[in-house]
Amino acid sequence: MRSSSTISRWPGGEGRRALPFLLPALVVLCMVSLYPLVQGVSRVFYSYRALARQDVFSGWENFTLLLSDPTFSTAFLNSIVWTATSVAGMFLFGYALATMLNSKHLRFRRFFRTASLVPWALPGVVISLIWRYIFLPNGPLNAVLGSLGLRGPEWLTNPSLALWTCVIATVWMGTPFVTVMLLAGLQSLEPELLEAAAIDGASYIQSQVHVIMPSMRKMILIVFTLETIWTFNSFDIVFVLTKGGPGSASMTLPLYAYQNAFMYYQAGYGAAIGVVILSVLLLAVVFYIREVLR
Amino acid sequence: MSLRPWRVALLHVCVVVMIGVLTFPLILLGFNSLKSEVEIFDAPLGIPKAPTLANFRSVMLGTTFSVNMRNSFIVAVSTVLLAVVVTAPAGYAMSRFRFRGRTLFSMWLLATQSFPGIIMVLGLFTVLTVYGLVDRLPGLIMMHTSFSMPFSIWLLKGYFDKIPVELEEAARIDGCSRLGSLVRVVFPLSVPGLLAVATFSLLLSWNEFFFALVVMRSNVNYTLPVYLARFVGSGGVVQWGPLSAAALLATLPVLLLFLLGQRYLVSGLTGGAIK
Repeated sequence: MRSSSTISRWPGGEGRRALPFLLPALVVLCMVSLYPLVQGVSRVFYSYRALARQDVFSGWENFTLLLSDPTFSTAFLNSIVWTATSVAGMFLFGYALATMLNSKHLRFRRFFRTASLVPWALPGVVISLIWRYIFLPNGPLNAVLGSLGLRGPEWLTNPSLALWTCVIATVWMGTPFVTVMLLAGLQSLEPELLEAAAIDGASYIQSQVHVIMPSMRKMILIVFTLETIWTFNSFDIVFVLTKGGPGSASMTLPLYAYQNAFMYYQAGYGAAIGVVILSVLLLAVVFYIREVLR
Repeated sequence: MSLRPWRVALLHVCVVVMIGVLTFPLILLGFNSLKSEVEIFDAPLGIPKAPTLANFRSVMLGTTFSVNMRNSFIVAVSTVLLAVVVTAPAGYAMSRFRFRGRTLFSMWLLATQSFPGIIMVLGLFTVLTVYGLVDRLPGLIMMHTSFSMPFSIWLLKGYFDKIPVELEEAARIDGCSRLGSLVRVVFPLSVPGLLAVATFSLLLSWNEFFFALVVMRSNVNYTLPVYLARFVGSGGVVQWGPLSAAALLATLPVLLLFLLGQRYLVSGLTGGAIK
């Protein structure tokens, strides 16, 4: 399309003209993204040996160790459960909130829309600290339950609850982004489309499923993929809220990788866990790239 | 199309409840920062009965807070400036030129979103060690800039796509140099996009925890998230009053800037980056 414009008809290859613009970005990306990726992945073939007091080449050892490590299997399973439920929660609340914030019957819409963004701007560490306080045995949540005559559990130290407290905080943190994106999608829908559906006798649910969802398909898929990647990779909430505990009840892959690399000095083992994360996410990324570049 | 009154009322109740859930934890933090340690647990949900600034005083005077705040400020502002300077020309090139490797470069930018922190930090550690940047702010600035770049380039490409090439051509016909048409025509029109990138980078850098945790080794070099995560009061137990005060001070400045800049970020995201 642009090939007819004067700018593109200038002599010389476009690459040569683009290069000066791209050079700073390319230099930074090579130094801080491409090289570290290669370097980081190469660490999986080395293990720390106490005797030699350094990392020595160990081939596939780190991966074979992973296969027989029960904490790794727990962390893997937790990561999947945690990501799946968190992203589902974000979409459930995000979709509901976006639909309501889009209603023209709602008063103070601007105020509510701005207020709904608050968690997006908070540092992950602050979010985690607030929720740690809320979940304390003598904290506000159990105070509310107590006033209802219920005895609140020990949210953070009960092995069957710890992971779910992380899910709640993650959903809270991620809901604004999903809301604001879906709201923008809803606002760009043609009102005639919905009116036509209503005239044809479509129920509320039918118009949601057959009219709204399909026209927002691409955006929903991209936001879904992004949130999946971000959640699977995220570290702050589990680190501050439960430290993966009690035991390894709420351990996730990023936290376990961090502990191995920086607390137990097993950088190679940590990197191997990182490669597992990367392989899972590459599936999501291929999907994401296909949707975005389409 | 009109709704029955009770449905309108129900709509408002639902919205108020959900917005309440999304904002109340922050209000709670504000309450706690003004309460004594005893009151925090005696009345965990109540409005402060005897508001005190003691928590803020002990944070400001008794800890390294102000130094860490300064660090966060330096890192965030440098990241914002660097990100804008580096990504604006790159976004322009992605929008205007068809060069070999363009698709590959786009794919690389999109793929970086998924790189696990642990792999990147292990690799970056080697780079930082070589340049003597471990435990120093410039190292962190470089990392934060690179994290903000993929998204920012993508967002700006979308912005430049919407600025008609004809405008540049007209400026050139009127005797502007190539650089002149960029500076006088394209740049002013892309200010909302640049504000979106600035808001995004500010948030990313100010809130980033994992890399700062690994790379910063000494108390005086911590940024605020690391300071907060390592916060322990006297006696080894967490003191929620001072911690809440510190967390509030670490949150409010950027929250306010974000609320000012969010409409640029949101329209940038929905107009170019996501759609």
